[in-house]
Amino acid sequence: MKLKNSLSAVLLTIGLVAAAPVAAQEKPSALGLGIFTFTSGPAAAYGMPGKNAADLIIEDINARGGIADVPISVTYVDEAQGAQGVIAEYRRLAGDAKNQVMVAALSSANCLALAPIAEQLEIPTVGWNCDTHQLLSEGKSKYMFRPNGNTVPEFVAYAIYLLERKPDIKTVAIINPDYAFGHDAATIFKAALKALKPDVEVVVELYPKLGSPNFQTEISRLATAHPDVVFSNLWGADLENFVRQAAPRGLFSSSQVVLALGETVLQRVPLPEGVIVGVLGDGWWMSPDARANAETARFAEAYKTRFGEYPVFPSIKMANALIYVKAAYEAAMQKNGGKWPARAEIAGAMKGSRVITLTGTTQTRADNDGLVDQIVGITVKSPAQPFPVIGEMVRYKGDSLMPRAGQDPIAWISTLTPSFAKALPKPGSYK
Amino acid sequence: MLNAIIPLLLDSFASAALIFFAAVGLTLVFSVLRVLNVAHGSLYSIGGYVAASACLFIASRQLNPYLSFVALILSAIFVAAILGPLIERSLIRWTYGKSEAVQILVTFGLFLILEDLQRIVFGVQSFYEDAPMQLLGTTTIGGVVYLNYQILLIGLAVLVVIGLRLLIRRTRLGRLITAVVADREMAQSIGIDTNRIFVLAFSLGVFLAALGGALATPTSGVAPGLGADTMVLAFAVAAIGGLGQIEGAAVASLIVGLARVLAIYLAPALDAVAPYAAMLFVLLIWPNGLFGSVAARRI
Repeated sequence: MKLKNSLSAVLLTIGLVAAAPVAAQEKPSALGLGIFTFTSGPAAAYGMPGKNAADLIIEDINARGGIADVPISVTYVDEAQGAQGVIAEYRRLAGDAKNQVMVAALSSANCLALAPIAEQLEIPTVGWNCDTHQLLSEGKSKYMFRPNGNTVPEFVAYAIYLLERKPDIKTVAIINPDYAFGHDAATIFKAALKALKPDVEVVVELYPKLGSPNFQTEISRLATAHPDVVFSNLWGADLENFVRQAAPRGLFSSSQVVLALGETVLQRVPLPEGVIVGVLGDGWWMSPDARANAETARFAEAYKTRFGEYPVFPSIKMANALIYVKAAYEAAMQKNGGKWPARAEIAGAMKGSRVITLTGTTQTRADNDGLVDQIVGITVKSPAQPFPVIGEMVRYKGDSLMPRAGQDPIAWISTLTPSFAKALPKPGSYK
Repeated sequence: MLNAIIPLLLDSFASAALIFFAAVGLTLVFSVLRVLNVAHGSLYSIGGYVAASACLFIASRQLNPYLSFVALILSAIFVAAILGPLIERSLIRWTYGKSEAVQILVTFGLFLILEDLQRIVFGVQSFYEDAPMQLLGTTTIGGVVYLNYQILLIGLAVLVVIGLRLLIRRTRLGRLITAVVADREMAQSIGIDTNRIFVLAFSLGVFLAALGGALATPTSGVAPGLGADTMVLAFAVAAIGGLGQIEGAAVASLIVGLARVLAIYLAPALDAVAPYAAMLFVLLIWPNGLFGSVAARRI
């Protein structure tokens, strides 16, 4: 009797184990997504547009039947709690089998913290906004993906655009946030300037703490250096504060200012004309490609109706990241004969994928980094909008500004020459 | 040379003014109540939120924009009138005579409650209303454009130092406070209503904290997390000047402001650590701060 019971237990265990993979591929009642962004604190000025876009896109996907008739159920995690809390939340969500994919994160620091955990737990994780080129530099990632591109093309694009518009500049000042994103951007921007115009001198480099409310002393320091150019990748409330404090003090008229994330504040602060701004990718909702896409126009109007302002590029990045996730599910199911995909199958479908987004395409390389075009321009007045928009635009092809997978990015940038830049599209060519 | 020094000094004074407003209330409360109020930073940010809301209201109703200056002051009075007596009577009074650990735990709990309350009431987004800053225009000094509002803040900080000095030395209330600070039991024995003095002194501390937040808002806005950052800096200033020393807070604010500005001008990598390096340096030489020990407390 005892032997019979033991045998039954063993058989039952074998049966459960054997059934597990099948169970994992049955359609769940809902597809759980963990979405990580800043919903509080100064960075919420950047993070909330991402959340807003996620709300809209997920509602839209669910209204159309979800993904293969499975509705998306989202859990938002606030990145303002710090890396330890973010990691704990990620592990908690990953422990629930219904959460198959994480859309994480906004912050480069959090992406760097989560990437090894994604590999360890084998959870497909889509870095929807984090840009640091260090994230996928080893090229070994199986589960961490970044469809929206990295800091290398983003900031090389600014250097090229700047030198095309202001070929005679001699001095540059930098004010970036004091963490990976700020320092990486400065390194790339300086390397590109050095390669393309070696006589440019960086006269001041300032790295205020992320979340600083007051930049008055930094503005004085920049003003005393009299630089031809002030470059910054401040973002969120930091950027808003910087613009509000620097504009009345004349910084925008004494120097050519480059605000890498300037598009995010166009609707919120009175940015003067002539400031070089861009969208760290192609996510400008008014770009010619975006305007030609009916889905994008519908999204932008729905966003404006719901949230009172048009989407900024973090919104577009989030929307595109969710479109990327949906495309991966569809591709994985097409490949496995229509069964609900396991986590590994979803990651497999993301690898090498080419997805049409709201504003262009994203091509995932072998190292899981995305190739997206780069749009840069200057602020101009628009008769159609009460706020400045981006004019004199250029759209650089995504692959033209990226080193090969596995290549040292700074070494690659140092090989750039003025003739390389001359061969690229010119400011104002993207109409 | 002068062109290089003038901006540096002016920035130091402007930075010191903001730091002083953040710290003076903390030091005043400690001098009278002998309580290190960890929730001080939250009162600073609440002042900022209320002032920003009032200025936004004025702008939305298209009232005279100069009313926003009045709104900054009234906001601080409003916060002090509501929260000062409420907090002192309901929480702080229970910590008198208790150990510092109890006082810090109670006020830290209050800090956490106030931070969450701000999120509930004001949301998680930043608040901006820069009308007072815009109205005053700019001045070019040493080749650098400054906001007249920055210069106004320097003047206001000097006025607050002088005003507090006069209040303590020249008014009846000041003498009563001095008596309570000198010897609480003796003050009670000669008929001074120490409970009333405590409420008034704490409310004055809340007013100064809220005023600091209100005055900072036109240039830098207010957002969740401001209270914690302010608190750390206020502690550094209080430690340098000597806990409970108002003049010490003024001098310490200047030192911290100068340290930070020098770092930004000469060694930007040290920007964040400069105030605390200055604190370390001062405490190594004067362990009880520049203006004396807690035991020999004066106000």
